[in-house]
Amino acid sequence: MNESVLNELAEPVSRVISKPETEDSLNIEYTATVGQPLCDDAKFSTKNVDVYYADNQAIHDVTLDIGANEVIALIGPSGCGKSTYLRTLNRMNDTIDICRVEGQILLDGKDIYRKKQDPVLLRARVGMVFQKPNPFPKSIYDNVAYGPKIHGLTRNKSELDDLVEEALIKAGLFQEVKDRLHAPGTGLSGGQQQRLCIARTIAVQPEVILMDEPASALDPIATAKIEELINELKENFTIVIVTHSMQQAARVSQRTAYFHMGRLIEVGETDQIFTNPAHDLTEKYITGRFG
Amino acid sequence: MKISALIFLLLVFAAFSYFMARQKITTAYRQHKQKTKILTLPKYFGYVAALCSLLPALIVLFFLEAVEEPYITSEISTYITANEINASEDLDLYLNDIKGADTPEKIAALSDEKQVVYQRYHEIETVANRTITAIVLSISILLVIWGLRKINTDTPARKVFEKIIEGILLLAASIAIMTTVGIVFSVLFESTRFFGEVPIMSFMFGTEWSPQTAIRADQVGSSAAFGAVPLFVGTMLISFIALLVSVPFGLMSAIYLSEYASSTVRSVTKPILEILAGIPTVVYGFFAALTVAPFIRELGESMGMSVASESALAAGLVMGIMIIPFVSSLSDDVLSAVPQSLREGSLGLGATRSETIVKVLIPAALPGIVGGVLLAASRAIGETMIVVMAAGLAANLTVNPLEAVTTVTVQIVTLLTGDQEFDSAKTLAAFALGLMLFVTTLILNVIALHVVRKYREQYE
Repeated sequence: MNESVLNELAEPVSRVISKPETEDSLNIEYTATVGQPLCDDAKFSTKNVDVYYADNQAIHDVTLDIGANEVIALIGPSGCGKSTYLRTLNRMNDTIDICRVEGQILLDGKDIYRKKQDPVLLRARVGMVFQKPNPFPKSIYDNVAYGPKIHGLTRNKSELDDLVEEALIKAGLFQEVKDRLHAPGTGLSGGQQQRLCIARTIAVQPEVILMDEPASALDPIATAKIEELINELKENFTIVIVTHSMQQAARVSQRTAYFHMGRLIEVGETDQIFTNPAHDLTEKYITGRFG
Repeated sequence: MKISALIFLLLVFAAFSYFMARQKITTAYRQHKQKTKILTLPKYFGYVAALCSLLPALIVLFFLEAVEEPYITSEISTYITANEINASEDLDLYLNDIKGADTPEKIAALSDEKQVVYQRYHEIETVANRTITAIVLSISILLVIWGLRKINTDTPARKVFEKIIEGILLLAASIAIMTTVGIVFSVLFESTRFFGEVPIMSFMFGTEWSPQTAIRADQVGSSAAFGAVPLFVGTMLISFIALLVSVPFGLMSAIYLSEYASSTVRSVTKPILEILAGIPTVVYGFFAALTVAPFIRELGESMGMSVASESALAAGLVMGIMIIPFVSSLSDDVLSAVPQSLREGSLGLGATRSETIVKVLIPAALPGIVGGVLLAASRAIGETMIVVMAAGLAANLTVNPLEAVTTVTVQIVTLLTGDQEFDSAKTLAAFALGLMLFVTTLILNVIALHVVRKYREQYE
């Protein structure tokens, strides 16, 4: 069974299927972002961000604050730029030669694209969990110990052991793997692998965790576990999650940002976005008329 | 008729058969007007008809050609015996004279008696040739007619065509296999003859190699010794030096190409690196003998060491340069095959690029890299030319890279070059060496394949 079928099963979207509308028929008028993009207690503060792939502009003028210890969901149709935006936050786009970022992105008030910023240190503060579980072909223990080892977070083996155990407990995986810490991480199930990747990220003790559709390759039960985990993690971390599932966004996030064609259309409290969207496009997307 | 002309004619028949069959089916389709159904394309019927006439005729032709020569020889021998002609020389040589007379001048040069035999030979050959032509052509024509009559829209042409293609592919595959088997058996056979003269134990574990045997009993220096150990030690020493050069440099250039180089740099650098693999080994040999070996000797002497003018070090260094592209190209491929998600996973945890390479990419690609190194090692072990030119022929049992050594392949060359009769222990030793070398590289290749296969399972 392929991924898309699984996703369909995982998210029985009760779409109001009316006449599908094309981009043209929507008669889009790009206005400034609707809602409250700014917040008082901002962890990340992005101002007028443009992202280009060579001459192709993928992100247009996005201004958005991400508050400390909040879970913010980025939603929008495929190709709307939400993943690109997410990857600018830990400079993951640096690995793509043709990618260029303009505008200002502040983390705790400091520009992360300034010359002096070491992208490696940034990524230690802003961890990332990917769409497809990507454990290293090493043991479960080594997967989690990888980050702490390269950053020298522990002084000896027993401290490292404790750190690994703590990360696995926080990721809700420890009970399942405690007897086989030295078995290969690639031998776990998809959901377990993804929680292992989350444990690996937590072990570096980041401040922000970026999640790029973390449950889209998983079955409903594994998805539920990941969502539960996100709810627990928000105590300690700021979480930015990109998702295609509006149910998931509604379940896990406090704020939701709706992207469309590289622009941030609307952002606001999750409840408000899903019950009473202010922008026409947002309404059409969440009621399933396109996307 | 000449065999080339005959084959050409068969091809013409096949082409005719193809067009006729295609035409027949096209016409049949038109009459039936089966436009709605999916039909087998007419060309498949053409292919089937053509191959039907061509393949059996070709098989018969090759079979007859194969038996023609022995048949003629036996006929002519019978003739010679029956007419009590005095074939005082060796019969083979006598027949060679006759068969080799293919120009009027050569025929005129034969003795009168041979002229008579030649006439007889010519008659037999002409008859045999005509018979073959007649048989093959009639088979082909009959098959063309039969095929065209038989073929109709109900013929499972696509299926038959697939079967024929499968057969042709199988044949192609089996040629390589048969050749390998043939080589192995010929080497094995000659080796057993050698081991009949020299005990296998003294060959495999003897430490002295001097294959010169006396042709006459009164010659001096006739105590031949066939201990292969110095040769294998020399081979291993040079291969080891070569790997010492090629593995680090090859691996590092692979890492640079796959992880650091921009696509422009990569598109220029990679082909240049691969040109190294295209340089003939003889050219490397010049380089080793004329540039590297003297340089090493001067360097060694300036440091007060005695270095042979032909040294294992010079040969090994140059050979190492030669096999860099093997290591780098294969390692580059396996490194690029490591999923991008692993790179991102590691970078996302705040690892630097070099940490990612050392801790994630190389371990993940290790089996593939090992496979590449082993292939390069087989190449180094089998290399001859550079060693001949740069490391010398003296079979010293030493592990000092500054001395002259020799390798298995070089000795095989020296044993077999020149006019040799293949019945002395000296020449037969080449086959025994070849066999041992073959077994060694085979084992390496099996290990390499095994490792590569294991690697494949990891990401699928």
